[in-house]
Amino acid sequence: MTRLCSDVILRAKPGRLRLGTAGKGGEVILQGFLLGLASGTTCLAYCAPVLVPFLLGEGQRVRQNWAVLGKFLGGRLGGYLLFGLIAWAVNRLILEDSGVRAPVLGVAYIALAALLIVYGVVRTPTACAGELKGARAWLNRWPALLPVGLGFLTGLNVCPPFLMAFAGATGTGTLWQSLLFFGTFFLGTSFYFIPLPFLGAFRHVQPLRTIGKFAAVIVALYYLFAGVLLLVGDVL
Amino acid sequence: MTTETQPSDQAKVQSPRMAVWKALLLCLPILLLSALIPLLSLQSGDPLMIISGLAVWILVNVFFVLMLITGKTHRYRSVLFIMIAIALPLDFIPWMFETYGSMLLTDETIYSGGASFCPLTMPMVIVPALVKRVVIFPGTLVGTGTHGIFSMMALLWLGVSLSIGRGWCSWGCFYGGWDEFFSRLRKKPLIKHKQIDRRWIYLPFGILLAIVLISALTYEPVYCAWLCPFKLVTEFQAPATTLAIIQIAIFILLFIGLVIVLPLLTRRRIQCGLFCPFGAMQSFFNKINIFGVRIDPEKCSRCEKCIRECPTFSLNEASLDSGKPLMTCTRCAHCIDNCPQGAITYRIKGTSLKASPTVARVLYLYPAYFLMAFIGGATIMNGLQRLLMLITTGSMLH
Repeated sequence: MTRLCSDVILRAKPGRLRLGTAGKGGEVILQGFLLGLASGTTCLAYCAPVLVPFLLGEGQRVRQNWAVLGKFLGGRLGGYLLFGLIAWAVNRLILEDSGVRAPVLGVAYIALAALLIVYGVVRTPTACAGELKGARAWLNRWPALLPVGLGFLTGLNVCPPFLMAFAGATGTGTLWQSLLFFGTFFLGTSFYFIPLPFLGAFRHVQPLRTIGKFAAVIVALYYLFAGVLLLVGDVL
Repeated sequence: MTTETQPSDQAKVQSPRMAVWKALLLCLPILLLSALIPLLSLQSGDPLMIISGLAVWILVNVFFVLMLITGKTHRYRSVLFIMIAIALPLDFIPWMFETYGSMLLTDETIYSGGASFCPLTMPMVIVPALVKRVVIFPGTLVGTGTHGIFSMMALLWLGVSLSIGRGWCSWGCFYGGWDEFFSRLRKKPLIKHKQIDRRWIYLPFGILLAIVLISALTYEPVYCAWLCPFKLVTEFQAPATTLAIIQIAIFILLFIGLVIVLPLLTRRRIQCGLFCPFGAMQSFFNKINIFGVRIDPEKCSRCEKCIRECPTFSLNEASLDSGKPLMTCTRCAHCIDNCPQGAITYRIKGTSLKASPTVARVLYLYPAYFLMAFIGGATIMNGLQRLLMLITTGSMLH
């Protein structure tokens, strides 16, 4: 699995898409947006395993799903920016250093898995979750935090499009232009998320909620396994 | 379940019996089409293969005639279905030894397209193929061999799915017979159906959703790599790394748990009904398929025998109200054969309840049984030939 995850990262070949210094704001906006559009399907591939089960599991209306998507994307942007800013402040090359990237990814994966399991099990009225009334009650009080948290941890995953955007942003010159580049890149990738809230059209299909919860737990197991491998892969 | 209305299980089951001459006449298309089996065996020139081909040809046609004469579908389908599942490894594993020297696949073999293509891969292949135009299974796309050819398997899957829907899972699947075999060994279940939370029937759909999404992310058929219980009776990656050892341990545990132990305890096809994501995907084909199963509310006494015994959890109380099983129905005919009132029949969607169930049954049996007789029959033929080789030469290898 480690090898295949690496393959995905390698396929992106960030260097090929590295952009030169942009002279004007308009050019930066266009470049960022086009890069986002070009790599958005990969972004979707990274986020869909987390977002789709969540949307199905919640079983809300289309309009409510837009709000959930907004929170998720907001959280994802927060994750991106946090990682990007730390990388900028410390050393922009740390993103390309697998010795640093692997443990960060590993911890993010495990945290994401934990959140998905909490979501899939605790928010489901199963026999297993029967003793977790406190946690369930907490989740019911703070449902808005879930998509933000999931988005944030997905943002920390440092997917190939993010690496490309980071490489592109560093080539734009000023910090303002970099942020502009990054923002428009983010908008470009978000375009591909537009269909997802329409899953709410199927909310009357009650089993989809259960299916979404099951899928969330299975995706969580995948991330847990991938995270552990990233942390102790060398030992194995 | 109300004990007042529950008739005895020993009650005589109404079966649409048929005159022998009519059954023989209706068997003619199957007789002709399944003649491909002995013809293929004749081509090989191997006497053992010819004997196997002829034996299987006779067997499948006798079973079809018996199906029609007795009106029992499940009884004969089940025997053939189990034979197919057992015959597959009897042929496939020796083939692996002949081709690769063992059941183990090295990375080199896998990435050179040597792994055999399996229909269970289909749900994971579709999204990357449509979006990225990439077939993520490292098998052969086209060719003339019998193993690992994507195009052949994809066409077979599509044709069967359109013609009999999830009937694939009880008439065409190479693996489901293992579940069925172990689920039939005990007469009474140790775990009763009421003790099983019905929400588990959605697990296969959850697995389907998860593996489709993760496969699109990783470009890896994750179910095949990590979750398929049937690796144990076909092929698996060589335990060259710790990860591969973990994978093999998972395969073993899943096979023992889902295919042997739980079917024994519940008398249900647990792997098929509560785990298999391919089956979940096939369920959607039931929606667009012209065949179905119906429950006549006027005949139904609500004894709930069908609910208690459905091997894939495809019937519940709501099914009796709506007059049809859940979309997960594999059309195995267990309920049809065992309904004390004869209230459950095959049907063609859109026809009235008064339409002849025999016509619908025969029309359904043709594509379903042909699939079983030809694809399954060829598998049984190959397995039988290996067994005859073992008896006559002491080895299953050519």
